[in-house]
Amino acid sequence: MFIIALANQKGGVGKTTTAVTLASGFSQHLKNTLLIDLDPQGHIAFSFGVEKTPGLYRWLVMDERLDEVIQNVRPGLDILSSDKRTESVKRHITLMDFRETLLFDRLRNSNYDVILLDMAPSLDVLHINGLIASDWVLIPTRPDAMAVDGVKEILLTMGEISQRGHQFAGYSILPTFFDRTTRETVTQFQDIVHAFGNKVLPPIPQDTRVRESAAYGKTLWEYSPNSPAMVGYQEGKIQVGGYKQIVDRLLEVIDG
Amino acid sequence: MANRNLQRRSILDPAVADLLAGMENKQAEARLPRREREKKAKERAKIRARRDQRVTYDLPPQLKQAMFDLAESLSLPASQLVTLALHRFMEAYAAGQIDISKYKKPSKSPRYDWKLDFPPEWWQN
Repeated sequence: MFIIALANQKGGVGKTTTAVTLASGFSQHLKNTLLIDLDPQGHIAFSFGVEKTPGLYRWLVMDERLDEVIQNVRPGLDILSSDKRTESVKRHITLMDFRETLLFDRLRNSNYDVILLDMAPSLDVLHINGLIASDWVLIPTRPDAMAVDGVKEILLTMGEISQRGHQFAGYSILPTFFDRTTRETVTQFQDIVHAFGNKVLPPIPQDTRVRESAAYGKTLWEYSPNSPAMVGYQEGKIQVGGYKQIVDRLLEVIDG
Repeated sequence: MANRNLQRRSILDPAVADLLAGMENKQAEARLPRREREKKAKERAKIRARRDQRVTYDLPPQLKQAMFDLAESLSLPASQLVTLALHRFMEAYAAGQIDISKYKKPSKSPRYDWKLDFPPEWWQN
């Protein structure tokens, strides 16, 4: 089992879209995948065209079994969805002993090959739980100064967690909403690459089809598998970036 | 003294390095005077248009040199001479004038069943 947390304290950087698209990609590569929504907005269920449910609340607060609260949304892909009751989960956890390792303890014996945690853009107890439970942290970021500051904040939090004894297998930074024609994107991308080197993954191009697919309750694999966000840029003879390449990169990490 | 034969390793994801290099080139190009920019754009369009015509084959060095020498002596592009030679070969092959069976030998390659074994005297002057 390999757990990947998608985190950035800045909102609107593409965490949920990335989580949905990668989870679908892993399941298509025959990885038994679970996607957990840790964000009270509940947009994971919305993205797959199913109703939001208080799955996380029932699992963590009502102590129901995981297999009773998950929803199977595609072959080999289950989701544990959230809704506004996830706010109560945070209050409940805050009162517990060993509250920061609750998610880690609950997921430890799971049978999934890959678990993705879609985190809320905040720094609360659920966020810390997600980081502690994860092997790998994927940090989507828009190429703008505030989102890049969010990357720095996540890395500082990961540093604090590591000092308390949790070992991350690693992390990656994923530039999203990438528009290579603007000077600001080039400048921010250069800064990110110079600061983080090989931690930076090929970017996801800005693509209107991403918004359209969410509106139809379809994943990008279903709605527009050859759109720029999926296949990236043509750079000479090779394709650069796009979610298909990111799935391949992460499968290399997952399979060791 | 430091070993100068060592090759510097790239610490970037290869796709990221390619993309960054392309973007930096374009940014540098945008700062050039208009005439230079137009010249670069024309060169790029020419390279793009020729992309489908480009091919890489392994040839015996002697044959490659002979083709180069002939092109030089006739003051012609080697690509056009090779095009003529291959076209004539395809016509002759289609007309049954070329028998490749006498050169055919089983191949140990996992990809091919056969290989062509050419007489060594072909490459001796």
